[in-house]
Amino acid sequence: MKLLSVFTQLGSGMLVSIGIFVFTLVFSLPLGLLVAFGRMSKFRILSWIMRAYISIMRGTPLMLQLLVVYFGPYYLFHMHISTSFRIYAVMIGFSINYAAYFAEIYRGGIESIPDGQYEAAKLLGYTKKQTFYRIIFPQVVRRILPAVTNEVITLVKDTSLAYVLAVTEMFNIARQIAANDTSMMPLAVAAVFYYIFNLVVALAMEKLEKRLSYYR
Amino acid sequence: MKKKISWLLVISMILAMMAVGCGSSSSSTSSSSKSSSKSSSKSSAASSGGTEKQKGDTFTVGFDAEFPPYGYKDDSGNYVGFDLDLAEEVCSRNGWKLVKQPIDWDSKDMELESGTIDCIWNGFTITGRESDYTWSEPYLNNYQVVIVNKSSGITKLADLSGKTVLVQADSSALKALSEGGDQAKLAATFAALTQIPDYNTAFMNLEAGAADAVALDFAVAQGYINSNSSFIMLDEKISTEQYAVGFKLGNTALRDQVQKTLDEMSSDGTVKKIADKYEADYGIADSLIIGK
Repeated sequence: MKLLSVFTQLGSGMLVSIGIFVFTLVFSLPLGLLVAFGRMSKFRILSWIMRAYISIMRGTPLMLQLLVVYFGPYYLFHMHISTSFRIYAVMIGFSINYAAYFAEIYRGGIESIPDGQYEAAKLLGYTKKQTFYRIIFPQVVRRILPAVTNEVITLVKDTSLAYVLAVTEMFNIARQIAANDTSMMPLAVAAVFYYIFNLVVALAMEKLEKRLSYYR
Repeated sequence: MKKKISWLLVISMILAMMAVGCGSSSSSTSSSSKSSSKSSSKSSAASSGGTEKQKGDTFTVGFDAEFPPYGYKDDSGNYVGFDLDLAEEVCSRNGWKLVKQPIDWDSKDMELESGTIDCIWNGFTITGRESDYTWSEPYLNNYQVVIVNKSSGITKLADLSGKTVLVQADSSALKALSEGGDQAKLAATFAALTQIPDYNTAFMNLEAGAADAVALDFAVAQGYINSNSSFIMLDEKISTEQYAVGFKLGNTALRDQVQKTLDEMSSDGTVKKIADKYEADYGIADSLIIGK
């Protein structure tokens, strides 16, 4: 297959991969914050539920979770599922998996803020909500950005796991073309695509870090 | 108190979103195809007959897109293949809309059972799996063969003793070489019998020398040899078997509809015509059971 044709086909698959990536980030970043709050909550039951959730999501393979999210409704609840559910299952599965990882990152960041910040905020008359959103959270973001960058880069490559639900994202298409051509060329092209995507992400995160380091 | 309420709200929102995700999938299927509400209530129960498809319904074929000549991606990026061509002809004669759904071969049973595909139609071997699915009549003969590197000096099956052999997971080559299979004794002499998820990986292994042989279906092997002259096929065959179309166990209504159309195609020569398209590269016309 001509190189140009390979590029265009992988390009359209890349759009699907990027879609999964964006959707997962948009959902899992806020969800992770909520899970982190639950994890740090004073209510023992809530904290326990969140710890169990984090433990299961991090402790089982993402591929397995995707299969459960997609086929679960049929096998557990006898609901009729369709092919259009595939992409939704991928996005739901990825979001709840990555939310668990982000939750632990958030928790690490929040717990690392010294008590002095809370005391000073109290003295200045900030409410609890104001303290968090105006004082604590900006500092947390700065601290966790390298760890979040790691997860985001991992996510870019994890999108290839969607093949298990037969979603035609880029790597799946690359493998099908490679099988037809019996050559490695499409896989090399796929690697280039992933690398460029990751480069853009890494550069963007670096820029973000620079902008946030206004103290140093 | 406020905190408790806001947490309950958040958790119920999350649950609601997941319910919407599941619910919207079942409602979108009922709006996208006319009589699917009838079929959805029937296919979820293990009914003894299944439901017949009406004109305008979709017919979803699940296939492994890395399995030329039965189902693969051609140079312009379309999914083509002998089995897909047969399926297209069946659909156009019945007024159904064909959906070509490439699937992960490992999840083929889950896909079929949950109804996301209507049948498995791509070089699907019936031999050894007769009681696991509802089958059409066999339409093609097939052999499991072994491919090796020309330079390896392996010329017969007995030479494979002490070698590393690859098979695709869940394939009939694996069945033949496993306990209870035709060639279990031969397999016992191998250094290793390793399962891989797809044939492309297997051939990369073979080319690189990480494996000594790949056991797979005849026509697929022929396709790989066509594009790589350093491979040869051993003359001895591991097993003979037949291909048929696999439906979910119990779905006899759909099977009968498809079978009727296949019989018509066989008697008016369409099957042979489609097989001849692949004659030069793969030579499957000789193995036809129907429509000779």
